[in-house]
This record gives sequence, C-alpha cells and structure tokens, in this order.
Amino acid sequence: MFPIEKHHMATSIEDAVRALAEDETSQVIAGGTDVLIRLHEGHGDYRNLVDINKLDELREIRMDEEGNVLIGALASFTEILEHDVIRKHVPVIGESVNTVGGPQVRNRGTMGGNICNGAVSADSACAALVHEVDLVIQSPEGERVESIIGFHTGPGRVSLKQGDLLKHFRVRPGNYKGFGASYYKYAMREAMDIATIGCAAAVKLNGEKIGELRLAYTVSAPTPIRCAGAEEVAKGKPLTQETLAEIAKAVEADVRPRTSWRASMEFRLHVIRTLAQRVTRQAAERAGGTF
Amino acid sequence: MKIIFTLNGVSREAEIVPGMNAQVFLQQTMHIPSVRNGDDGTGFIGNDVILVDGSPRSAQRLMAAQLDGRDIRTIESLNRDMIRPGRLQQALIAAGAVQDGYNAPAAALLLHELLSRNAAPSREEITDALSGLFVRDCGYEPYYKAVEIYKAMVQGGKYDDVAPSFRDDLRVVGTPVPKIDGPWLAAGQRAYVEDRVAPDALMVRMLRSPHAHAYITSIDTSEAEKVPGVHMIVTHENCPNESFTQAGQGFPEPSPYDRRMFDKKVRHVGDRVAAVVAETEEAAREALARIKVEYDVLAPVLSIDDAEREDAPLVQAGPMEYVVGAPENLDELNRDADPRDGTVTYQFPIGANTRKNIAASISGGIGDMEKGFAEADVIIERTYDSCQIHCTPPETHVVYTRMDAGRVVVHSATQVPWHVRRLVAKVLGLPQNRVRVIKERVGGGYGSKQDILLEDVCAYATLKTGRPVYSHYTREEEFLACSSRHPMRVTVKLGARKDGTLTAVEMHNKANTGPFGNHCLTVPMNACSKSLPLFLCDNVAFSVTVYYSNIPPTGAYQGYGAPQGSFGLQLAVAELARELGVPHMEIIERNRVREGSRLELMRILGEGREGVAADIKSCGLEGALKRGNELLKLDEKGESSDPDVKIGKGFAIIQQGSGLPGLDQANGRVNLCSDGTILVQQGGADIGTGLDTVMAKMAAEALNVPLENVTVISGDTDMTPFDTGAYASSGTYFSGSAALLAAQDLRKNILETAAKMLGVEPEDLDIDYPGVVTGGKEELPLTKIAHHCESGEGPGPLSGKGCFVTEHHAIPYGAHFAQVTVNTRTGEVKVQKYYALQDCGTPVNPELAEGQILGGALKSIGHSLWEEMILDEKGALVNPSMHEYCPPAILDKPEDFRAEFIFTDDPYGPYGAKSVSEIATNGASPALAAAIHDATGVWIRQWPFTPERILKALGTI
Repeated sequence: MFPIEKHHMATSIEDAVRALAEDETSQVIAGGTDVLIRLHEGHGDYRNLVDINKLDELREIRMDEEGNVLIGALASFTEILEHDVIRKHVPVIGESVNTVGGPQVRNRGTMGGNICNGAVSADSACAALVHEVDLVIQSPEGERVESIIGFHTGPGRVSLKQGDLLKHFRVRPGNYKGFGASYYKYAMREAMDIATIGCAAAVKLNGEKIGELRLAYTVSAPTPIRCAGAEEVAKGKPLTQETLAEIAKAVEADVRPRTSWRASMEFRLHVIRTLAQRVTRQAAERAGGTF
Repeated sequence: MKIIFTLNGVSREAEIVPGMNAQVFLQQTMHIPSVRNGDDGTGFIGNDVILVDGSPRSAQRLMAAQLDGRDIRTIESLNRDMIRPGRLQQALIAAGAVQDGYNAPAAALLLHELLSRNAAPSREEITDALSGLFVRDCGYEPYYKAVEIYKAMVQGGKYDDVAPSFRDDLRVVGTPVPKIDGPWLAAGQRAYVEDRVAPDALMVRMLRSPHAHAYITSIDTSEAEKVPGVHMIVTHENCPNESFTQAGQGFPEPSPYDRRMFDKKVRHVGDRVAAVVAETEEAAREALARIKVEYDVLAPVLSIDDAEREDAPLVQAGPMEYVVGAPENLDELNRDADPRDGTVTYQFPIGANTRKNIAASISGGIGDMEKGFAEADVIIERTYDSCQIHCTPPETHVVYTRMDAGRVVVHSATQVPWHVRRLVAKVLGLPQNRVRVIKERVGGGYGSKQDILLEDVCAYATLKTGRPVYSHYTREEEFLACSSRHPMRVTVKLGARKDGTLTAVEMHNKANTGPFGNHCLTVPMNACSKSLPLFLCDNVAFSVTVYYSNIPPTGAYQGYGAPQGSFGLQLAVAELARELGVPHMEIIERNRVREGSRLELMRILGEGREGVAADIKSCGLEGALKRGNELLKLDEKGESSDPDVKIGKGFAIIQQGSGLPGLDQANGRVNLCSDGTILVQQGGADIGTGLDTVMAKMAAEALNVPLENVTVISGDTDMTPFDTGAYASSGTYFSGSAALLAAQDLRKNILETAAKMLGVEPEDLDIDYPGVVTGGKEELPLTKIAHHCESGEGPGPLSGKGCFVTEHHAIPYGAHFAQVTVNTRTGEVKVQKYYALQDCGTPVNPELAEGQILGGALKSIGHSLWEEMILDEKGALVNPSMHEYCPPAILDKPEDFRAEFIFTDDPYGPYGAKSVSEIATNGASPALAAAIHDATGVWIRQWPFTPERILKALGTI
C-alpha cells in the first residue's frame, strides 16, 4: 500500500493547476517512476497526488510553425527517443533519455519528471542544458516561460512553485540549428541506472574553428551545470587535440565533484576531464568538423 | 473508488483505496501470482512487468487507480492451458531459460511484446527488450536461443539442437529435454512460498539494529503492543533461550552455536532486535516504530585488521563450551567472559578462540616446505583481497508457516528442508515428528538459502498464535541480514624451478566471517581445498584463520570460498609464469592434476575431520585447455583501433567437488503407480537447478519408461526420505545417485514380480522401452504388473528405495578463458569474449547445465569487476538496494559468451555425471585479472577491479 491520502485524476490542465494550487501538500504524478519509488520508501511528502496521466495534450511532440521543437512534459522516454522530430533536430535529447531500466520503465518515465524532480543525475538534464530548452509552465496566474539555465536551484530543488504545472519543453531554432551535439553517460556499468558522471556538449562551428561550445555535466556539482569557463576557452579555437586539452583543463574550475562511495573526487575529476574531450570532439564532428 | 478494466480479456470491476499499489492489487486481489515484487519498487528485477494497452509497464510503479479503463495482460494471456503453456513459454523452457523460473513469466511477457512488434528481432533488440529484467541463474544467453526456437515453431519448422547430446547409449540422460517443472513455472502457476499464503495469515516484520555492535540495555514494547492488530512481539526477553547456528549443515555442524532467536547483543547493522506479529503489514510497521530500545553502543569491528588488533572489542564475548574436545585451558579462557553475549557452543573443536575474535582456524600440509623452497629457483609471495559479495537471488528470503493437525508446517524457500526441520524443532522445543517442512519452488538460492533466517521466528509465532504466519524479506533486509561471500585475504607463496615445476605451494587465508560463525570454518577452508588440489606438488602447506567482526553476515555462496581461493592461487601461478618467463599455459600443463593422479592432499582437507585421499578417475582439463586455447588463441595478441583501448587475454583452471563424500547422504523412493507410471519421492531440494529433472531422468533411464510417465515429489520432510540438502554441489551426484539406486531397486522388484507372473526366472527378463517387461512367453506392460500387484491376489504396490553414501570424490574440472578490453584513459573494462570449458562428466541436462555455467560465470564476472557491499565507518551498508549494488544484467554480459562441455565418464557418478554449476564461479577472477595484466601490464589483486583501481595501478590518477 502506498501511503497516499488523495489521488486526483486531473481532467484538464486547468483542473490540474487548480488542484495543485488549492492544496499546498499536493504533488504532481506523471510517469510515476520517481514518485512511486519514493512512496515505496515510505516518503511522507507525496500523500496528496495530482495525476496528469490522462492529459494526453501533454504527451505531444511536434515542431511548431516557428521551428520550435516542443516536447510534452508527459511524453515518455520511448516516445521521445523514437520520434522523428527529435531524431532529426535534437537527437541528443533522444540519446540522453535512452536510459536503462528496460522498456517497462522507458515506456513510463517522462522528461518532465526527470527535469522537475531536480535530480543531480537526471539523464536528460545535460541535453536540456546544451540546447538551453525553455520550460513552458502553467500556473493559476497564467502561462510563463523559464529557461533550463537556472531552473535547478539546488540538490533536488527546482524553481517550481505550488500550483505550477510544466506543460512542455520548447527548443528554439537558435538553440539547435547549426549545432552538433553529443551525450555520454559514464556509469560503472551498462546496467547501472545512475550515472557516475553525465556529460553533453553542443558545438557550432565557425569555419574550421569552434564558434560556440556548450558543455554540461550531471553529478559534477550540487546541480546539473553548464561550464562557463571551458566554454569561454573554446571560443574561436581550432579543432585540435590541444584545444580539447585546454577545454579539459579549464573544466576543472567549472565543476565541483565530491567523493562518495561510488567514486572518489579525484577519479570523478579525471572522468570529467576525459569526457570533456571525448564529448566535445564528438559534438564537433557531428557539426561537420574534423580533427 | 471503483475501477473498471480488462484483465486478460475479461472485464473486471474492483473497489480500491487510492494508495493501492497495482502489483499488490494484481497479485493479491486479482490472484495473478506471477506479478511479483523483487525490489521494493525500485525497478531492477523486473518481475512485476504487465502489459498495459499492449505496452510493458512496471506494475510496482503504477497505482491500481491508474489501471482504470486500461487493457491489462499478464502471463495468463499467453497460456493455452495450465499443462501446456503458450509456444513462447515452451520455447523458453526448451532453451533452458526457465531455471528457477521466478522471473520466467516476466521474460515471456517482455519477449511477447517485442515479437508482436517485430517477428524477427535482432540480438540487440532482444537485449533491449530484456534490459530491465534481472536473472542470476542462466547468464541470459538462453533467451536468444528461445527466440530462435519460437520463430521456428511459428514457422512450423524444426529448430536446431539447443545443446549437444552426449550419450548415444542413453535415451534421456545427456540429452536436452524440456525441464519437467518448466511448464507450470512458465505458465505462472502457484509454485513459490508467496503463492501459498492464506488470506488470514499474520505478518511478521523485524525490528533491526541501527548499530553494528551494541548491547540492548532496555526494550519497551508496551506502546507497540497497543497498535490494533498486533498479536505478539518477540524480543530477547521472551524468546526461546535456545542457541543454534543458522547454517544448514549436517549435524554435528562445524559451525558454532553462537546466536539465539533474539540476543541481548546486536552484532551487525540489521541484526534482529524484535519481531512484530500482526494482522497486516501496516500494523506491523506501525508497531515497529513504537518499540523503544536503548543501546549501549560498542566500537564496531569491521575488518580483519580491526579484529586482530590487541585491544579489539570482542564480537562474541560470551563463555565457550564444547560438546566434545574442550581445550584444557577452557576455564581460563572463559574467566572474563561476558554473560550478556550468551554462550558459544562448539560441537567439536574448530580452532576457535573468541577471546581473540577467532571464529575458527586450521592448518596442515604435506611434504617438507623448507626442502621445497630450497629446491626452488624462483620464489614469489603475493596477497590477494576479495570483498563481500551478495547472492542477490531474485526471490528474497520468505517463509510461510501454519498449524495442521497439531503440527507446525513450514513452507520454505530453502536448500535444506531437513536441516530446517531439525533447527525449527530444536528452537521450538518440539520433537521432529511435530514439524513438517515443505520446500516450495525457490526463486534463486545460490547458497543464501542454505541458512535459516526467518523460519524459527515464523514457526514460533504460528505455534504461539495458532495462526498462519508469513514473512518476506524486503530487498534491504536481504542485503543487511542474509549470508554473503566472506571477504578473504589470501597470501600465496610459490617456489618453482626455472622450467616452471612447482616445488612448494603455501596458501594462508585470513577470512572475515562477520557476526556469526555460520560456515566459518568450511567456507574459508574450501578456498584452499578446492584450489590446491589442482596442482601436483609434493610440498604443500595451508592455514586458515577466520575472524568475527560486525560486518553484515556471511555464509554460503555458490563456490563456497573457492572463488576467493582460486583468485589467489591461480593468479599467483600466472604471476609466477611472468616472473619465470615461461608461458602461463606451459606452467599449468607442467603442474596440473590429470586422470590417474592420486591426491594425498585430500586427506588433510576434510570438512573439520579427517579426509580421504582421492584417486582421480575422470579429469577433462586437457580437453578444456586445448579447446579454450583453440577458441581464444592465447598466443595471438589482440589489436585495437583505438589507441586508448588495450586488449588482453587470460585463463584459469578450476575445480569443485560433488557433494561431501563421507558426510552427505541422499535417499529416494521410486514407486510404481496403479497404471504403470512412476512416482519418485526424493529428499533432494531442486532450487531451480533442474534436480527434479535429473532425478526423473535417472528413473526413466533405469526403468526404460518415457520421461513424461515420471513424476517427482521432492524436498518435503513428510513425503520424501532424508537428504542432507542442495549444497556443496551435491544434487546430481548424491540425490541423482539415490534416485538411480531406487529406480534400480524398483526394476529388480518389477522383474521379480513379473517372473512370478510369467513363471520364469527374473534373470530371463528385461524392461524394454516404453515400460514393457520382455523375455517371457508374453510381453508384460508395467500397467499390467501394477494392476496385478494392487489386485486381491497381488503382493501390494511395488517400490524401490535407494540410499547413497560414498567415500569417492567425483571432481568436476574446467578452464575459463577471457578476453577483455581496457580503456587506459577511463579505466573501463569490457569482457569481449568469455569461454567456459567444463568437465561435469555426463551433462545430464545439457541445456540447463549450459545456462548454469553461464550464470555462474556472469555472477563471478560481476564479483570481479563491479560488485561490492560497501560499509561506512559505523558498519552500515551504503548500497543496500539492487540498483546501487547493481549485479550484472543482460547489458553487462560478455559479447561472445559460451559454455562448452568436455565430456568424461566418471565411474562414480550416476551415468557418469559430476556436479556442474558451483564450479563455474571459480574462473572469472583469475582469468580476468590475468587478461587485464596482459592488456595493461598491471596486476590487480583486489576485488572489484574498478576503473579507479586500474587507473591508480596505471599511475593515471
């Protein structure tokens, strides 16, 4: 038995927002892959659930007339990774949600949940950060848009308020057109569902040089992060091993890994440096560059 | 609230409460047993899979309310009927993928969904479909075969042999035949302990210690007892004062009696403090939260180094007593004993001294070590550390007890029904005729179910309340309070001549038994006794010292110490080869055991008693080494296109035993039923290994009857005769032999009866297939004989009995070969190729044996590369869940993963068979470590071989 007192099956976005705003103890349940694990553990914060599973409009993945890629908050990992729009325009988002746990979890887990639960290891967070996705949020006051940059406010915390419901992610053309992107999840094991380090890079070339690098990590600081220092270093640099080495060096100042039972800080730093090179290189190659 | 949904094509309505979990709802309210909970909803094991509108979902991550309006399908939707499951399940059974069967319905559903989208999936697609399913028993390879078989069945064609056959002279032994219990397991019928629980059963939940080492100074259960539905709370203050060992070993055990149902002292985080017996799980949990306990917390002992220290806290500080063989200075040793710890009782001396935290010790040897080392040109000495590894069976420990006709009935997932009966009777103060133990199907044991972890408490609660009682470990409890692989530190010293001939072999093993002494002598000793006899050397010495500590409990785990010993000795020999500049293969060939060897060493390697020298009558090592080298080509250096990635190859030779000659005993009865079919009653415990099929095959073969005419009842202390249990690789050799002897005895009785009916001599007659007595004036089918026996003029039903004991060893051998890639920038190791070449005499069930070998190999690849129970500085386990501990699953399997048999015909084994699966855990560690060295030039001498350890050894970090 899950320790639940109330389970409200929302009938519309407005209904969900109202239910969420009405009761400050209420929580959204989307795919449930995260919330129900916490309930299994006997967590007390999820006694009052607003279930959005019947809101099929939140499942939609499409491109709008302005060229924005829209990913519904309730779209499952399977739907995202198999969708043509994703494959064509933002494949790295599809790659990042191709997590283990098997089809029975991928069919259920959502990118909305993955981002909104604020996990520092969220697989889709790196890809969202390098594409600087917008979060389109409905609240009782109306619709607002927040960027993923700054959305994670601390370990397990995001800037959602009571009554907020994420409707969809929006990737603007300027944030994917012309970029090559790559993601690598370093886990101790293939079957390991928690990344030791996750890293994504998006590269836009300027001729033979790096025009813009966006580099993001999970499990390398208290929240998923972008690496301003390394990105600055990369600007205008040629596609060479030396550039990759400079990026790898610079990234050390951007991250704050810690020692845990899974891996020591020094090992994490080594992996972070190694991935900076590997992932940046692959992103640049996907943008059409050669080393 | 009310929900309406479709369940397996039938429209259903149900009234539910909002918090109802869909898995619990389907299993308990809708009575679908196969929708299981293996991982407390964290989603690693995957046996809770259901199809929701055709798409696989984890039922534990759904609320029952979310089923409203959906089409729900479970394994039942694939069954034709309950005797013949659907084709996909038949394919899984034929392929040997249904072993313990606990997750077989989930596998079938996942593959069904894949095949309904894609009639010809690739290997990658099959891998993906099963990537959320955990099985520990068959190494995943049989699933790919099952899909091939299924495709052939659908197309109406024949499929290739699932495994080779070995005995042209026999009908079923040595040939792949679908496992006899496969159909009902794959169909999702009730078969496991959890499927037997009556709705009125009480629940037992245990309060567990938050401290690794402490005295309970007070315990107040008064508030907890007020919780509605709480029947009783058992603590050290009101439990039976009977000491015992949780180890299910032959009596008198070589394990000390060093625990009671509840003790005043807690000795590990997760140790038993109290048990609540209540109407519901919720009431039990509520009561647990209200028990007030005060502790006097002691410093924990967490390692061998801690335990050895001069002023170390004593884990078992109570007085020692001996049934026989007390040391002369016992009174002196007991002078400062602390009675709060309880008495430690030894059935006989095992070299213990609890005053020094020593749980057991032993040493011995043959020849002259000084002379041996003097003759050596090179001497090396190395130390190898293994870590604590968990068995992780898909089914956690579970027991269901009830009263029946004034007796206590225990339904248990156990490897040792008779030891459970003896121990439960002892703790409850009942004679053994008042206790019945029924071994149900077991969802994976691997050694952990050789120990008695719940049976005593549940049986006591049933005896006291008269109610049925059920308890099922959570996954966290399984990690905290189970039995696991002992951490060991093995030091090996080798002396050899320039040509590689070993002149002296020394092995010193320090092991950590944790809080209790279950298996404390025998597991660490087995590290020596299942590795040293692989080499023929005149001068051999060993010592074993085992320490108590406050780590989570250890015990039996497939391999039983041999994996740790094999890691040390085999890798040391690989290191010696490098040191000498002699190829590894050459040094192995020069020193290894072979057919005809006489092993004097076995005399000193008994289980706490005098052993017997062994004459090796069958040994497939020559063939295994030749075939392994043929497949892997050790001399050819692997080249990688990525400069960071290095390729390396390695191998190791391995052995195990087949049961414990001189200690074990197995018994069987084989009965002729009224229509001439056969009923085998056999004490052996099939824990998913196919032992029932082995015993059925023995009877079918000896009696020349079709296998489908043989039914096996096993592991029930009322219905079947005594068997020591399924451990020490005894199943095929001991229980199989007992079944064969009983069938031969029945054959003799049949022929004698037929001879009287026909007026001829029994010697003139024979039983021909399919069960017809020939040689007389007319053919007599067994039906006729059976009918005659049960008629008014008949002599009564015929049966045969067999008791198997032996002094002879039937030792299985093998060689495991591995090829790895090591990324020298990231430290990542991938196993590209893994070949297990094994000699198990005649493989009785070849397709099941292949899966078991691969399962054993994959377990030990996990132990070597990834798995580790990690403790914090206070002794708490930091990774007590499946997704944090993370044993290998299908994505971690070696790319090219094969098991092959090297056929030998052992004169002592039934139809030439020896044991097969336990040995398979012994090869991976030394083979992988040798391969990593071959790739990178560094020796990793500590489990697990993590990227961090490899990069440190390489000097990268």
